[in-house]
Amino acid sequence: MKMTLRVILLLFLIGGIVAYLMYNKPHENIGKASVDLKITAEALFADFEADEMGANEKYLDKLIQVSGKVQDSSTDNNGITKIILESGGMFGVVCQLDELTNHERTEFDIGSSVSLKGKCTGINMDVLLVRCVEVIK
Amino acid sequence: MNKIFFSFLILSFIFATSSEAQKYFTRDGNINFISDAVLEKIEAKNTNATSVLDAETGKLEFAVLVKAFQFEKALMQEHFNENYMESSKFPKAIFKGSIDNFEALDLSKSGTYEVTVVGKLSIHGETQPIKTKGSLKIDGENILASSVFSIQVEDYGIKIPSVVKDNVAKEVEIMVDLKYQPFKR
Repeated sequence: MKMTLRVILLLFLIGGIVAYLMYNKPHENIGKASVDLKITAEALFADFEADEMGANEKYLDKLIQVSGKVQDSSTDNNGITKIILESGGMFGVVCQLDELTNHERTEFDIGSSVSLKGKCTGINMDVLLVRCVEVIK
Repeated sequence: MNKIFFSFLILSFIFATSSEAQKYFTRDGNINFISDAVLEKIEAKNTNATSVLDAETGKLEFAVLVKAFQFEKALMQEHFNENYMESSKFPKAIFKGSIDNFEALDLSKSGTYEVTVVGKLSIHGETQPIKTKGSLKIDGENILASSVFSIQVEDYGIKIPSVVKDNVAKEVEIMVDLKYQPFKR
């Protein structure tokens, strides 16, 4: 009898720990995560522009490594850095740097080439990647 | 003399109309929300809302990518996207509307203006009318806009299972805060 009670208590304890860990599970570590695909900013933008629905199926939630030329880069008052990669048109691929990562740098020269990996969230004028981390070759 | 005066008139007319037809734009709008339920307060932020304000007609549009909302807890972000917003099926939330009292405003003068915005908000494939107060602040050549309003999640076809009814609020408060810049082609 005592034994059963102990087993039940133990199961509750394990259940509680599992629930607690699930509840507090950390965000994916983008720096260490391996990318699902690599593409240029131009090609990614062109895919979204040609067929948004199809591109959503292909790219949403994927960890994408995108490379291109910096069209603009800025850090706002809250410390959020965004890098816009050229697509050849007016809009581009916006990469917002991950707030949970310590970045090697947060300043990017306009016109320089850069590779970043981040989660694709879709197109809203620009194609948007969040939680980006620079891929240093 | 008359000719010069006439061409001056035309020129000033063109300048006046072209500055009036000014559109304002942002791709860095902040849209945050809070779900303040009995057991849990959940906050999420999105720093990539796009919006266009037509300073001639007072029409405005917002669009935000649902998957770009960032939560403190990964699990909540997952539930938000997969269970409630179904963001793979409905990747965008969109507002289209206009400033109700726009004709009474003179955006060429600096100052802060109280506005009423009416329009339609589409979330999770459902569209509902929205009326909310907000403010516009003229800041040099830019316009700062902000508004706070609440929505009922069930109006947008989002069902909250009874197991988490104390964790997820039925009413969600949405905060909009952005800086419009003149739209240059």
